[in-house]
Amino acid sequence: MTQKGKPLTRRDFLRGSLGATIGASLLGTKFLKAGQTTGASSLVTIVRNENAMDANNIVNPEVLKSMLDQTLIKFTGQNSTRDAWLSLVMPKDTIGLVSTTHLNPTHQEVVDAVKSSLIEAGIPEEKILNAQGGPEKPKACTALIALPALKAHWLTGLGTVMKIYILYSGKPSYYHQENNAKLGETWSLPFVKGKTRLVLVDALHPLCDKGPQPDPRYKWAYNGLIAGTDPVAVDTVSLHIIEEKRKAMRGEPWPLSPPPLCVEAADKDYGLGTSDWNNIKVEHYGWEEDLLLG
Amino acid sequence: MIQNQILKNTTTHPGLFMGFCLYLCLPVLLFLPFIPGVAGGKMKESKPALPKTVGLWTRPDSPRMVNTENIFDYMDGAGELYIGYCFDHLESYEYEAKSQKNILVELYFMKTSDDAFGLLSLDWGGESIDLGSSSLDKTASAESQWPRALYGEGLLRIWSDNIYARIMAYQETAESREAVLTLGRTAVKGRHNPPSPELLKHLPASFQPGWKLRTDRISYFRSYLVLNSIYYLSQENILDLNLETEALTALYEKKEFSQGLRNVRLLLVRYPDSDRAGEALLHFHRVYLPDHTFQKESASSGVTTNVFPVEDGWLGYALQNTTITFIFECPDRETAMDIMDRLR
Repeated sequence: MTQKGKPLTRRDFLRGSLGATIGASLLGTKFLKAGQTTGASSLVTIVRNENAMDANNIVNPEVLKSMLDQTLIKFTGQNSTRDAWLSLVMPKDTIGLVSTTHLNPTHQEVVDAVKSSLIEAGIPEEKILNAQGGPEKPKACTALIALPALKAHWLTGLGTVMKIYILYSGKPSYYHQENNAKLGETWSLPFVKGKTRLVLVDALHPLCDKGPQPDPRYKWAYNGLIAGTDPVAVDTVSLHIIEEKRKAMRGEPWPLSPPPLCVEAADKDYGLGTSDWNNIKVEHYGWEEDLLLG
Repeated sequence: MIQNQILKNTTTHPGLFMGFCLYLCLPVLLFLPFIPGVAGGKMKESKPALPKTVGLWTRPDSPRMVNTENIFDYMDGAGELYIGYCFDHLESYEYEAKSQKNILVELYFMKTSDDAFGLLSLDWGGESIDLGSSSLDKTASAESQWPRALYGEGLLRIWSDNIYARIMAYQETAESREAVLTLGRTAVKGRHNPPSPELLKHLPASFQPGWKLRTDRISYFRSYLVLNSIYYLSQENILDLNLETEALTALYEKKEFSQGLRNVRLLLVRYPDSDRAGEALLHFHRVYLPDHTFQKESASSGVTTNVFPVEDGWLGYALQNTTITFIFECPDRETAMDIMDRLR
């Protein structure tokens, strides 16, 4: 990520020339403008329930199921969960569920709820795979449902949606340092591109500081599910929630560092969706307290 | 023959045995202060002897051993943090209990106490815990005393000489808190408390008019990745940081009636020699300030000092011998110059 050999600096970021800087070095790659942007507003739904977890942060599966049902119906505009799923996937699809495994992993209850819901919608159980892992995993799937957990990350600023396919690259450490802005590449790999039917962020118990290891002081009960089909829009909303929580927690500006280059670069350099808040339509349902969308 | 006779006598007469030991050990004791790594409180520490059982929790017989070769298998990209410091190895235990969630104990054996301090310094938040009578640095002045252990919501972080420890209950309960603190007390028992890194002495507590050091925003490190996680400068290593360099960053804060609180960011980097410091400054200037002319040191002072207006305020730097001092986000040129002068 250089422009004529010049590394990106804080000053580029402050000048707002991030996209141009990264783009100049990446234009011409086959991954650019991969074609998942519609041009219209991207819908992102947030469904919250204050009883999704108990005082010990144990997930209530029944409440979670109702949150998932509501998410699917509100996001797709369909009348039932079954119809909602069938507007996103086809019965003949082999569906890969892709969850976060390290540092604030996706709750297993969320993965189980999605799997059960798909089965109830008529998808055969054997057609639903755990697709987190190496490149062979998505190759075995015709559809992917991304289930990242909401968290900050010490090398990428944010470690939620754009980072969820990092293992598909077969070279995850390549994206750990200055190359985190290239995470959009992983969404444009030939065996990944176009397969993502839904991004559903586990925002039940997010982590708002970067780690690199979990610190319980920076986790809180948001009790939410965030959903969309535009991965960049979902990551932008996720980022906003993390930033608002950090501000509220410290009572002073507490910017993520390094800046989450991967989100804006996914928009401006890989065309995976929109990071422009003005082009994102956020609908929220349920528990309103500390929504963090201010 | 004579040695055999002495040995024979000592085995039958305890007093003679003690004298014999002293006879053998005296030369070693006399030369002990001159052995590298032993003088100045650098004596090799004994390994913490963690209990097999603490409260409801029991650990396996042996720890999981992690070194630079397998650290990414253990903790994914988080390993970059530890190899960004002078890391030796990690010993990890998972204490289990039937009725409670596990307690994870991670003992990071660093090559110096400064490196263990650096890891704790990345976050001064949490409740300061006294794990024993020697758990504060009593050699330091009152304003520079540093917590040795910090606790928050189930996680205890410790700096104990060359060990940085993380002891975390996956679920905080009254029992797990007590167990975590007991494990912490055991981990530091009998260990030395060396002072904080010498580089910190270069930080004035305040500048006039009204700039005060935020001690809770001081971090010590050696890696540009760690710097970027605190204060992003560039996605590449434009300051030539590595395990041979040491750096710290700190915030100075000033209350202004019209604009509330203002901060300036200080960054101090010390290189192994003046040549490498000079090369690093040139590298930084070339990448970060390509639109500004680099002016060399004044012959009389031997110090290179420059200040520049950039997008987020005034930036200043001063190179003196092996150390470069940077100041970022100054409100005006005068403040930048004034701070640079006072830091010399």
